[in-house]
Amino acid sequence: MIEVLNLNGGSMKQWIGTGGQQHFFSTTGVLKSAGLVLIMIGILIFGGGVALNPAMAADTTINCDAHKGVCSQSSGDLTVSLEISPRPVKAMQDLVFKVSITGASPAKPPHIDLGMPAMKMGPNQVALKPLGPGIYEGTGVIVRCPSGKRIWFANVIVPGAGEVKFIFDVIY
Amino acid sequence: MSSCRGRERLNLYSMSFIDPLYPIFLVTGFTVGFGHCIGMCGPIVVSLSLNLKDKNFLIPHLLYNSGRVVTYSILGGVMGATGSFTLVASHIAGIQKGAMIFAGILIILMGLAMSGLISFGKVFGDSYNPGGFISKGFQRLSRGKSSAAYFPIGLLLGLLPCGPVYTALLAAAGAGMKATGPLEAIITGMGVMMCFGLGTLPALFLVAKLADMGWLKKREFIYRIGAVLMIAVGIYFIIQGIRY
Repeated sequence: MIEVLNLNGGSMKQWIGTGGQQHFFSTTGVLKSAGLVLIMIGILIFGGGVALNPAMAADTTINCDAHKGVCSQSSGDLTVSLEISPRPVKAMQDLVFKVSITGASPAKPPHIDLGMPAMKMGPNQVALKPLGPGIYEGTGVIVRCPSGKRIWFANVIVPGAGEVKFIFDVIY
Repeated sequence: MSSCRGRERLNLYSMSFIDPLYPIFLVTGFTVGFGHCIGMCGPIVVSLSLNLKDKNFLIPHLLYNSGRVVTYSILGGVMGATGSFTLVASHIAGIQKGAMIFAGILIILMGLAMSGLISFGKVFGDSYNPGGFISKGFQRLSRGKSSAAYFPIGLLLGLLPCGPVYTALLAAAGAGMKATGPLEAIITGMGVMMCFGLGTLPALFLVAKLADMGWLKKREFIYRIGAVLMIAVGIYFIIQGIRY
């Protein structure tokens, strides 16, 4: 049995009697409950799914097979070659990043931003030091993501000339 | 934030300014908190909130997060002291795997306890050994008479493997390498990680508040749904921990 008693402050309150028991509900409370369920589902499933599986929501087209050797990418006149060693490229170990630049003369030494597509992993920069004309080298670490997703990017920033992004997979 | 301010006292050790890494990682913690941390730690925070039922959420979550930040700071200090991320990371990998499996088990137990299907006492055989260490600990947690249990949970779960935490630890190790002495290296590493941990607090407190059920008049069906979700998430954590 449902009996509408009154309208109180815009919130409809009802007494629901079943088998001699009566429970108090408010429309606002039910709506909040439903909202909370959605929030919980959002956190537990969307958060646990998308955030832990960022590759689902991102452009993860691999444009570099870093395990095989040198990769090259161009942006306008700028051409950048990247070599990561030792190979195969594994997470959680010291890696050497060797960069060769043609078509531009950077005002300052370039650097590399490491990250995962569509997920903020925090600032992970590799400082590059010049080895010779247009050749730079630096050491860094690709950290492991517990989700198991292995696609990472290395964005080579060349001051005054632009940037080039390498997307590759990493062995965990 | 005391560490961030305390950094100024490092003038004694040749430092003349607040390390820019501190605000950088405070902001990093804040931003990744609303993305990565909600996905990774959100289920744990929701589990803790739901398990509190009618009790105030603030103190337990403050203790949980304090434990987490303390663990981060200790790890940061170790990273700073050694100056080698990969060396320390390789040594704590096994502990992190265990922490992830523990988190999964904890979430499942809380889900079971919340569902009313099984009590912590039955799980750990309290009737057989009521004075046991594990039994006592979980009795205290499940009864919730003391919120203190949330601090060691935070300490342990601060070891959960997490990409952004690794990145912050990497920075802590790098800062340690640049330090002029061991004390400065340790304090700088701790400061970086403390700032990172503090930055993650708003997101996790928001999740805790959203999952706080005190305002609901009828909560049992929420608890039932939450219990099922918690058990599912706990299983996911255990599988991920085993595979890690």
